[in-house]
Amino acid sequence: MSELLTGLSRALVLATLLVPGIAAALPDRLPDNLVWITNEEDPTYAAPEAKRGGTFRTSMQSFPLTLRRVGPDSNGGFAQYLRYNQMSLVEWHPNTRRPIPSLASHWAFDADGKTVYYRIDKDARWSDGVPVTAADFEFTREFMRSKVIVAPWYNDYYTTQVVDIRAYGDRIVGVEGAAPRPAEELMYEYSVGVVPNHFHQLTDNWVADYNWKIEPNTGPYQITDVRKGRYIELTRDPNWWANDRKYYQHRFNPDKIRIKVVRDLNVDFQHFIKGETDTFGLVIPQFWHDKAKGTVFDNGYVSRYWFYNDLPQPSSGMFLNEDDPILKDRNVRIALAYAMNFDKVIRTVLRNDYARMQTFNEGFGDYDNLAIHAREFDLAKARDYLEAAGWHDRGPDGILVKDGKRLSLRVTYGSPYSTDRLVVLREEAKKAGIELELALLDSASAFKQMQEKKHQIAWMTWASQGISPEYWQFFHSVNAHVPQTNNLMNHDDPVMDKLIDAYRASSAKSERVELAHQLEQMVFDSGAIISSFKVPYTREAAWNWVKLPAWLGTRTTDQLFDPLELSAGVYSAGGLFWIDVDEKRRIRAAMAAGERFAPVLKKDETYRRRDLE
Amino acid sequence: MTISPLARKQWHRFKSIKRGYYAALALAGLLVMSCAAEMLVNNRALIVSYQGKLYFPTYGAFLPGSTFGLGYDYETNYRELRSRFAESDDGWVLMPPVPYNAFENDLRELTYPPYPPSFATRHFLGTDTTGRDIVARLVYGFRIAIGFSLMLLLCNYLIGIAVGCAMGFWGGAFDLFFQRVIEVWSNVPFLYVIMIVASIMVPTFWTLTFVMVLFGWMSMTWYMRTSTYKEKTRDYVMAARALGASSTRIVARHILPNTVSVIVTFIPFSIASGITALTALDYLGFGLLPPTPSWGDLLSQGTDNLDSPWIVTSVVTAMIVILLMVTYIGEAIREAFDPKRFTFYE
Repeated sequence: MSELLTGLSRALVLATLLVPGIAAALPDRLPDNLVWITNEEDPTYAAPEAKRGGTFRTSMQSFPLTLRRVGPDSNGGFAQYLRYNQMSLVEWHPNTRRPIPSLASHWAFDADGKTVYYRIDKDARWSDGVPVTAADFEFTREFMRSKVIVAPWYNDYYTTQVVDIRAYGDRIVGVEGAAPRPAEELMYEYSVGVVPNHFHQLTDNWVADYNWKIEPNTGPYQITDVRKGRYIELTRDPNWWANDRKYYQHRFNPDKIRIKVVRDLNVDFQHFIKGETDTFGLVIPQFWHDKAKGTVFDNGYVSRYWFYNDLPQPSSGMFLNEDDPILKDRNVRIALAYAMNFDKVIRTVLRNDYARMQTFNEGFGDYDNLAIHAREFDLAKARDYLEAAGWHDRGPDGILVKDGKRLSLRVTYGSPYSTDRLVVLREEAKKAGIELELALLDSASAFKQMQEKKHQIAWMTWASQGISPEYWQFFHSVNAHVPQTNNLMNHDDPVMDKLIDAYRASSAKSERVELAHQLEQMVFDSGAIISSFKVPYTREAAWNWVKLPAWLGTRTTDQLFDPLELSAGVYSAGGLFWIDVDEKRRIRAAMAAGERFAPVLKKDETYRRRDLE
Repeated sequence: MTISPLARKQWHRFKSIKRGYYAALALAGLLVMSCAAEMLVNNRALIVSYQGKLYFPTYGAFLPGSTFGLGYDYETNYRELRSRFAESDDGWVLMPPVPYNAFENDLRELTYPPYPPSFATRHFLGTDTTGRDIVARLVYGFRIAIGFSLMLLLCNYLIGIAVGCAMGFWGGAFDLFFQRVIEVWSNVPFLYVIMIVASIMVPTFWTLTFVMVLFGWMSMTWYMRTSTYKEKTRDYVMAARALGASSTRIVARHILPNTVSVIVTFIPFSIASGITALTALDYLGFGLLPPTPSWGDLLSQGTDNLDSPWIVTSVVTAMIVILLMVTYIGEAIREAFDPKRFTFYE
């Protein structure tokens, strides 16, 4: 929920703060000096031995309120299935992190540094057989800017961020972004989807009319069965146009995907144990250590996987409001960081499963500043900084007092799961004479309070995606001291502003990397953020009839058993597994006969980033 | 002050119903004990003797570790101090029977909470998912719940009785108007209001009480209205009026004491419903903020961790015991105040 909100609000911020319309428009004629690029040389990563067939049975927490991709109520959990079943112009290789052809077979960069031209694959088809053309993209621009879709985020994004989309003939489309970027980031930052021109009628009733209509798509699966409140079934298109494309071979193997509604995680787990669903996520320590036990595991019918990946880590931690009378003192902020015993939380409540996040942004390859290490629990240092800030005396309850005011700070958070972690931090912080007052709100209200900058300490996580870290929305002073921005810290530093502006304007990667390192150091020095945890892996369990390649996953695999590309963001890492129908029969028979196999636990550390630990 | 013969009779009757009487004694005992919970369940020592001087840390300001020659200036860990004194001869420490408070996380290396019950570590009912002692959580949770319940009872009854009496006594348009107000008001879905309140502001003890009172005062009005109506027409009220007594006097001195049996009968059940309401709200996550010790929180932890059965067993048992006691008391009170026993000649 909070992550959805995060994305939404980020977009809103961009939308409200960027001045629209530098009257940019793409030229009428295609520039003639374009160099068309493609990428067919990167290695493939799917298993050639994968078998087609079978049904992949999985679950969702609630039934979607609509089958539209945009508009009201379209941002629920099922939206991922709809969105990632539509191909992008280009996708990103999950191991090399380079662009690979998808809907577009070739692309070319304009000299202005903000426009990319794409050549649409000659075979690209909608699921109803209609070819995908450049006109669909021009329609996308109109569609996304239309008021009838009731999607202000998209309205703004396709006006202020993606400034123009234009067709050149049937197969070439130009996309112009708002600001120059390094070549590959340009493709990421201003990526556009595509909407079928022949399917939509933009009437005032569009939202209601299209609520349960099944839109044609370009991806491998098509919705074939909708039982409201119970399940949705997707069926693989046997004639999917991209079936034999290099990077799509041997992927998306099950014939059907059935997503059943199971509203409770514990119930969901019981379904899995009974074999009614095929896989189950075990990242939560309690599930991995305590619940994933018993016959089906011990008898080797179900395997467990622990797979380290190398993805941008969600930025989680404590965001300190620098406008707060207590927290405006940098010494207090630094002292607070030294008073947070994250290590103890990790060693006890989190069972050594999570790791400490070292910096605000992590997992962006070259952009990572490896020189920074998070401040560790150190009462002596905390005391020195607090003394420097004038907090000398302890009150009768052991909490520091200055001018009659107690050093009590409110932590606003929205996830009940965080309480276990926060109570340990709270007890430990008392030793430094700091009281943390826990304010658990409903996640939407918590986020609202943070966005209105009414918090003292915000405990939250920003979803992290993309191929380079972001600074402007979090640290630039234009976003400080005003509500509804993501600068939760109200961080306001003219020197940093200059660097951020330079970072945003730069189109040379080396320069951006250098600036990002400096910025990350400044973030750390300011003490405005106390980074908390990261989970640089996925843990899952699957019945043994669900097969994976020998290498299990890719560098950017966020979920091993991802039937589409639901999880890894821009990286095309999903759909590598397959269902072995014969094996399923054998295992069922073995279970009935009480036959046993050796229990399986596969741990893969190929992509573990030890330099970030 | 003299006790009326009727009251004395009722008291005897109540005492003769053993189950209710002992339940009342036990509950009163628990109440008193929970008021002094700091002496029974606490991480602060009762008495510390150090270098010939006695310290009583239970109440009052915290004593930093440096007081006892420990190298830190935050609150002394008295359990550690005790094991340290056991090795040296510097003094002695007397700990309460359960040496934990409701907030501290007793976490150990290489094993992970919840820890099962253990006499060795003095976690008599084990710990919850963050290593907090369940006895401590139960005891302090009980104190908060019963306090909440009594506060709720007081406010609800004050408003309910006042409004109900007024409706019954004045009748007419006033009665009609309030009947409609109450009917409308009691149709406001209370749980939604709580959910909304909990989502826009941080619920505290007082805001929760306020919201609960806002929607809880109505039920008492109906009973009071009926009894007042009934009593109003009695001869003694006529007599008082003939003697020139004011309305206030009639209500306060004549009618109210005669409706007391109605009020008293409802009290135990109101207490029970107050406790269950708070527990339910905590369980659903709309109650008091973490880390406030609460039964609802324990209950939700327990149901999420059924493989650690000591959590759910402890809190469910505690709830059953308390609610049973309240029910027994209620039963006995109803019996003792039963007007049928005293209104005819034997």
